[in-house]
This record gives sequence, C-alpha cells and structure tokens, in this order.
Amino acid sequence: MKNVAVAIKLAWRETRGSWRQFLFFFVCIAIGVGAVVGVGLFAANVEQVILGDARGLLGGDLEIRLSRLLSESGHSVLKSLRNRNIALTHVSELVAMASTEGNSEAKNPQPGSTQLVELKVVGEGYPLYGRVEVQPPKALSSHLTLPQSRCERSPCFGAVVQKSFLISLDVDLGSHIKIGQARFVITGVLLKEPDRVASAFSLGPRVIISRQALVATELVKPGSRIRERYLLRVPASMSLGPLKGELRGRLAKEGVRVSSYRDAQPRIRRFLDQLSTYLGLIGLTALFVGGIGVACTVQGFIKQKLTTIAILKTLGAGAGLIVGMYLLQSLLMGAIGSLVGAGLGVSLQIVLPVLLQGLLPLPLTPQLFLHPLLKGVALGIGTTALFTLWPLLTIRTIPPALVFRRDVEQAPLGHPPMSLFRRLKTDLSRLLRDSRRVGTGLVMGGGLAGLAMWQARSITLGLLFMAAFLTALILLWVAAMLLLHFLTKVSRPRSFVVRQAIGNVQHPGNFTAGMAVSIGVGVMVIVAIALIKTSLLLAIGERIPEDAPAFFFIDIQPDQKVDFERVVQEETRSPTYTLTPVIRSRLASLNGQPIDPEEHKGKRNGWYFTREYVLTALPDLPKDNTIVKGHWWTEGPKGGQALQEEASTPILVSVEVEAARNLGLDIGSTLEFDIQGATLAAKVESTRQVDWSSFSTNFFMILSPGSFQGAPFTYIATANVDPEEEVPLQRALVKVLPNVTAIKVGDILENVARLLRQLSWAIQGIALLCIAGGAVVMTTALSTTRYRRLYEASILKALGGTRRIIVKAFALEFAMVGTLAGVIGVGLASALSWAILYFFLDLPWAFQPGVLGWGLVLTVLLAITVGFLSTFRILGEPPLAVLRQE
Amino acid sequence: MISVQNLGMQLRAGSHLVTILDGITFEVPEKQVVAIVGPSGSGKSTLLGLMAGLDKPTAGTIQLNGFDITALTETQLAHFRREYIGYIFQSFHLIPTLTALENVALPLDLSGEPSAANRAEELLAAVGLQDRQHHYPVQLSGGEQQRVAVARAFACRPRILLADEPTGNLDSGTGQIVIDLLLKLNQDHGSTLVLVTHDSNLAERAGRMITMRDGRLVSDGEIPR
Repeated sequence: MKNVAVAIKLAWRETRGSWRQFLFFFVCIAIGVGAVVGVGLFAANVEQVILGDARGLLGGDLEIRLSRLLSESGHSVLKSLRNRNIALTHVSELVAMASTEGNSEAKNPQPGSTQLVELKVVGEGYPLYGRVEVQPPKALSSHLTLPQSRCERSPCFGAVVQKSFLISLDVDLGSHIKIGQARFVITGVLLKEPDRVASAFSLGPRVIISRQALVATELVKPGSRIRERYLLRVPASMSLGPLKGELRGRLAKEGVRVSSYRDAQPRIRRFLDQLSTYLGLIGLTALFVGGIGVACTVQGFIKQKLTTIAILKTLGAGAGLIVGMYLLQSLLMGAIGSLVGAGLGVSLQIVLPVLLQGLLPLPLTPQLFLHPLLKGVALGIGTTALFTLWPLLTIRTIPPALVFRRDVEQAPLGHPPMSLFRRLKTDLSRLLRDSRRVGTGLVMGGGLAGLAMWQARSITLGLLFMAAFLTALILLWVAAMLLLHFLTKVSRPRSFVVRQAIGNVQHPGNFTAGMAVSIGVGVMVIVAIALIKTSLLLAIGERIPEDAPAFFFIDIQPDQKVDFERVVQEETRSPTYTLTPVIRSRLASLNGQPIDPEEHKGKRNGWYFTREYVLTALPDLPKDNTIVKGHWWTEGPKGGQALQEEASTPILVSVEVEAARNLGLDIGSTLEFDIQGATLAAKVESTRQVDWSSFSTNFFMILSPGSFQGAPFTYIATANVDPEEEVPLQRALVKVLPNVTAIKVGDILENVARLLRQLSWAIQGIALLCIAGGAVVMTTALSTTRYRRLYEASILKALGGTRRIIVKAFALEFAMVGTLAGVIGVGLASALSWAILYFFLDLPWAFQPGVLGWGLVLTVLLAITVGFLSTFRILGEPPLAVLRQE
Repeated sequence: MISVQNLGMQLRAGSHLVTILDGITFEVPEKQVVAIVGPSGSGKSTLLGLMAGLDKPTAGTIQLNGFDITALTETQLAHFRREYIGYIFQSFHLIPTLTALENVALPLDLSGEPSAANRAEELLAAVGLQDRQHHYPVQLSGGEQQRVAVARAFACRPRILLADEPTGNLDSGTGQIVIDLLLKLNQDHGSTLVLVTHDSNLAERAGRMITMRDGRLVSDGEIPR
C-alpha cells in the first residue's frame, strides 16, 4: 500500500515535468477511442430509433402478413377482432408499372414514359401509429380520393408519390398517370411514411393509392405477386403474446406470418447490427494501432529516462516500484487520451450518418448514451495498460551503475554479425528463457483478446479478430525485419543521401518496423476493402453473360401469353425471350410431417423450411443446371415416356442440391406444397446443381410438366432486346398488358453497385482512422528520434551540408518507411481480400494493379508528408546551440 | 583573412536577455595560428561557432576571406563552410551510423567530390588510423575519434580551420598526439587556425593569444617564441 502511494507520488512528479512528451501518446489513444466511441454511439442511436419507434415501424402492435389474398374465412377471423376493441387496417404492397399520360395539367410529359413503382394500397384507419407526411399537408385520405369532377373521361383517383417519381417521369403535382387500368392525379409528395424502413434496395419510388383505386387498376389477378399486411392496434390491457398465438392458430391455413412490434424489422436490425460490429472492430484496429504508438512512446521515454531510473535504483527504489510508477503515469495519460477520444467519438456522430446516408432506414437524431462512452474509455485505458507493459519490462534490466556511464544511446551495433536466421533464433530463445517476458506477452495477448471479444460481443469473432490482427502484425514485423536485414546486405551506397537514409532506417532506435507496421495495418484494412469492393463490382459487371436478358417480366396471366408474345415480336427485330410458368407456394409437409414455421424460425437453415418457393413445371432441364442425383424426366430408365405413360404417377419434383440437403430430402422423398390454400404433393425425382449467377430464371423446385393443370399460375418472362428497343418495348407492353411488371436487369445491378460503393465508403471512412492512427504512431516514433536527428543534422550543417541535402536524406528515409508499409500493407490486403472473397463470397480474386498501385503510392506520399510534418522544425535549428550542449 | 567587427550575441533566457558576446573586434591574417583562451562561460566557443556561421550574431559582422558571412543565407553558408572551413569539436561529433572512413569522406561527399574515398583513406593514414577505416565511432577510443574528426576537418583542404577545445575531452597524452597532428596538418595545408582552448600547453604553441572574459575581449597579443 505504501509502495502504491510512493509510486503515485513519483508518477505525478514525473508527469509534471514531461507531459509534453506524452502529447502523441494522447493522440494515439484518442483516435482509437474516438473510432470505437463513434461507432458505439452510432449503433446505440440506431438501436434507439428502431426500438423507440418499433410500433410505428411495424405500423401496429401486431402485423399479419401474407403473400396472397386472404380467404373469406380469414376475413371473418379478422372481422371478429373488432368486437374486442382491436383496431385494424389493411395495407397491400406490390410492384407495378406507372406510365404518364399526355393530358397533364402542370407539365407536358412525354406520353407513355414508364416507371417501375412500389405501390402501396392503404385502407381506412391507416396509419395506426405514426404520421404520414405529405406535401401539401392534408390528410392522406383526402389526397387519395378525388371529387368526380376532376376527371374528364374516366373515374380517377389521387396518388401520393415520392419525389424521385416526379423526377424520373418528369411530372409534377396535378399530372395524370396510369397504373394498370386506372388513371390517377398526382395529389401529393410523400415526405415521410412511418412503416417503411427505407430499404437501401428498392425497385422503384413509392406510390400510395386507395383500396378502391386498386380494384380499378385490375392489377391483382390470380397468382399476382402481392404482399398483404393487416395491422392491428391492440388495447393496452390486452397482452400481445396470447393474441399472436391465437391468430397464428386461427389463420394457420392462410400461410400468414404474425409478428409483434417487439420482433419487428429483424432483417434491417441484423444488417445494422453486423455493420456496427464490423465497424466497431475496425475502430478497435485503430485503437490497437494507437497502442503500438503508445509502446513506441514509452520505449523512447524510458530510453530518455535511463539516468533517472538508474538514479532511482541507486537510491533504493525497486524495479517493481519504478515499473508501477511509469505504469501509473501511462494510465493517467491513457485516461486523458481516452476522454479526448470520447469527445472525438461524439463529434463523429455528425460524420457517420452522412457516410451511411441511404443505408440508414430512418433519419437519426444523434443522442448521447453513457454506455458507449464508458466502454470506449475503458477500452482506451485497457489498451494503454497492455501496450505499456512490454516496454516497461526493460526497466528491470537497467543497471544502477548506468549513473556513471551516460553514453548509451549511441550503440548502433548491438548485434555481432550473424545470419538472420541465427539472430532470430537467439532472440527467440532468449525471449523464451525470460519467464517475465513470456508472462507479460501472455497477459498482453490475453488482455487484448479479451478487449476484442468485448468489442465484438462474441468470443469467436473476438478471437478471430485477434488472430487476424496478430497474424497481420507478425507478418508485417517479419517482413519489415527481412527488408531491413536485406538492406544491411547491400553494399554501402556511394551517395551520401542514400547512405544516410539507409543508416537512419536501420538505426535500432528508429522504430522503422514499428512505423511500418502501424501504417501498414491501416493500409491493409483500406486497400482490402477497396479490393473487395472492386472485385464485387467486377463480378457484377463481368459475370453477366453476354446473353443475359435485359428484362424480367412478372405476373403475365395465362391468357395474356399470346398478347405478350405478339408485342415482343412486333417491337423487337430479333426477339429472344423465354416464358416460364410459375406458381408461388410454401412447404406444407415433408415426408408426411407437417411443417411448423415457428419451429424453424431463427434456426440456421430455417429459411429453407419457411421461405416461399416459386415453383415451375418444365419439360427440359434448364441450361446452367446439372443433375447431381437421380434422373431428369426425359432421361432415366423409362426415358421421355415416363410421364405420358403413367398419367397417374404422382407429380415429380427436381430439388436444388443445397435445398435438398438442408431440408433432408433424398430421391423418393415426398413433399407437399401449399399453393394459396390448395395442396400439391410431389415426389423427389432428382437433385440439381444450379449456377445462380447465370442470370437466367432459376428455381429451387422444378415440377414435372403438366403439374400446374388447374392451378393459378402466371408466367414470368425474360427478354433479350437491343438497348434502343428497351423503352419502346416497355411502353408497348404497359399499354397492352398494364398489369405486367417489367424489371430492368441493368437498373437492379446499378442499385446493387450503388449500395456496394456506399457501404465500402462507410467502412473505409472508419478505416481512415486506422491510417490516422498509423500516421500518429509515425509522428510519435519520429519524435523519439528527434534529438538524434537534430544532432546529426547539426553535424552535417557544420560540415557544410545544406538543408536540401538533409531534406533529401529525410525524404528518402520516409519514402523507404512508406514503401515498406505500403508493400507489406498492400500485400496483406491482397491476402486478406482473397481470403474473404474465396471463403465467404465464393468469388475469384482478381489482380487489380490500379488499386494496389494507388495504395502503394498514397502510402509513400503519406509517409513522406507525415515524416516532414514531424521533423521540419529540426531543419531550421541553428547548429551551434545543439553541438555545444552535447 | 578573418575580420571580426563589433560582434555581439544576446540570448533570451526566460524573460531577460543574456549577453554572451559584446563588442568583439579583431583580425586574423592568413596562415596565422591564434588561440582564444578564457574561463568557462566567457563566450569563446560561441565566438568560434559564429565565425563558422553555425549561428547568427545579434550585432556586428564577420568577414572571412572578404565575404561577410553574417549576410549569407543558410544555403550559402553551408556552401561556404564546405569550401573554406574545417571545424573540430570538443566532443568530436562524429556521425555514429557512419564508419571512420565515411565520416572523413562526408564533407567530400557533400561537395560531390568523386574520389572522396581515396582522399579519406589518405587522411586517415595521415592521422595514423589506416587500420581503423571501417570501425564505427563507438568502436574507437576518444583519442581515435578526435583524430578522425581532425582528418575530417582537413578533408576539403579548408583555408580556415576552427578548433573548439580539441583536447578538452582527452587525457593529456592523447591530447598531445592530437595537437601535434593538428598543427602538423595545419602547417602542411597552410591554413589559418583559430583554436579555443583551456589547455595552456596548446595555447602556447600558437603564435597569438586572445583572452576573453564575460563576453569581452580583454587581451590580444603575440606569443614570443
């Protein structure tokens, strides 16, 4: 206890005199903590918004969702709820085509321009929670119903649209548009829609219409793609759990999902959760990089304090006391740095939402939360402590007799000449014999891993992160050592500038490896993200086969098939199109066992049991599909006759191999599909491998031909047309078949690419803090060599060296550090991106000289800039004072 | 020819100015050997440093071979030093990362002399260190280090040699060797030598002695041989 008090007192006295030297220490920790706190606060804000307005986001206390129309019995179930004081509203969502008409009141748009829209149909009572904001401000219902007098020829309705709709069709408030068979007047601009999580990925702008208008559009046909949502407001006295269970039971036949606001938006939440976990780990990388800076500062500091330490030892202070004193001092600095960092993190709240704009479901109003602040400060202090331990260990070996010898710093030849391998071996065995070093190493590793697990909120992820960080660190370190070793092998160059630069880089007190590692880690993160992004973008662009369709058409009714084919043939010169019958279904039972969706919810492969399956019935195996097991109908022992001959054979199904594996299906297994209430049984005849990236229409389940007899199927079509034929075809189809929706493949890919770019910007924004951390570490390391540089520069000047020569030597030195960091960082980034692409994304890694080259050049420039900013003051010092004080 | 006119140097220490040099005026004709003596803190090392242009005086001028070095820019000064001045420090000031040979060759490298290594070898031989060419400063004794420094000072055949307590960090025997070398090389090269010293032995071997006290010149006279 007494010792601690003495240590505190000594620590305070030491700090009082030398806090300036710790300035970089603060900054190293502050940047890392800033990143961690920034991400933490962001995550807390997102969580707050999503949880805080969960009712509004879901649109009610409970939501009943289904992908087909509700049956009569279902309606009566819902009707009965009204008796229990439960408010109900009905919302339908579907994708549709909107087109302009010539007789606009405001502008004169091109008649017949089309736009894919996300149509939302609202009924009475909508919204139950929250508020729809429309410009001009009026109740939503009065926007949607119009007095008859406003329409000249046919009855028309009001539509509220998103601003982007106005822009893309070049229409304005008051313009007329057509959706399906109905005509609309645009009556308002939608500003805010409470229950739409602005998904980053949407097919088109939102258009809201009334339920009567939907009927008039005639868009809803058997088998149409529609999402029906019934939203419930439940009296506060009624508990949601039992009601949810009751509704699930009573509506079991309808294929509904019932969810409460408490489990709302799991997908967006999971996405944001993962995003903030990964951003948080990048923040932690910045903090650990700062930790390297801390270690460099402490090591440099101890070197300056050798005499002080020796004096303290001669006065009887034990090594433990001295280590304790400097540890306390470091912790104090770390705490101050962490507090500054917390402030930095708070200010990041302004930047992050800008970076993530469009990816965020809702506007954030940044708020402060205590937990991320405290966590950030704790992580900062923890990191400081762990990174300080290692350099502090040297204190033990400082002999008190040092008081009598001052000349310690100038020992560039600590190692007798020996081979690199032997040196590594000697160093390693010396290290392993030192039990305290080994112990400290274990404490450091364990502690850092603990911090990583805490930050990742997962043991596995934390350990993975630590393993990756350590691997990167070790590789960077070894590579730096190898390069430095290689430099000793090259003969002393003639040029003084080169010799001086190499000498400096190799100087043991120069922290070259430390600088290169710190910058290299940041470079690795940023370049790896850039490489992955570019690979993904390339994959999107390159993997589209030449014959990929320009359009997908959905919801073509069986009786529209002829019209569709006619229009395509009329509007295109060399039409290539396919029409595939499809039906949407869910799995009802496997091998006679009924499927309970609740049982599979949240499980890893649960998706295969609960998802909606789009079925098709095809005579021929689609291209890009290969049979893995069993036979395709036209092959096999009975050949093509199998189906015709045995009309009584059960319907056969070919299952995609992964789905079969996850569902536990084998040849001969039976399954039942629920098709809008009707059951269809099928026997597994084969399993197939599918190339999902082929951009043709691919299916998990393919039924034998003729299976759709009497079922409410529709066609989906793909068409390959020349680019200049795209717009006319789209217009002609909307005119003849207004209910058919055309989806342009290019638009979707464009959307994906935009999303990707933005995501990578956001991640790189945080990763920039790693680079900033590395830059500060470099400044720190250079500041510890400031005196030596000043001294050498003074000698050079005294001997007639100009400032230019010194600048050149410095520049070359910094460029070497930058090159080292860049080459290693870029190399590791290649390895990391390859691993991620290969193992997680199943994509090939492409050599991207552009990204790598830029990464390298920018790193070198960064190192030179940082180096000069850290040393330029040395250049102006007159040499006399320095040389006289020596 | 060195001409120091009314030289003054003041430094700011905290809130007040400290006068280091005040109204120093003297001239040194070519090839003369001058010793500047005086107690510690009398300003003699500062005076020598100013004469090499290692700092700027706050008053007065210094002319070396007709150039007013107080009016030169930093770069001009560097070139001037390279061409005209050799400097020897009390604490040697060799660059620790360079070998003895490289240290001697350094000024030659700086002036872009192509045969720097050969000349450096000759010089090291002249100071008796031909066997120590590839040793680093830490591997050399104090006397050896100072001999390297002397060799370095003569590398560019300077017209003016300035030596700041060249024996100050050496024992008397070693000091004697260094002095002998210094004076011999100076004679061989025919340069002007100004040395600051505490060492009366060394001072007596100069032709002229300037005595300083508290930043002022108190006496200046020829030493009878």
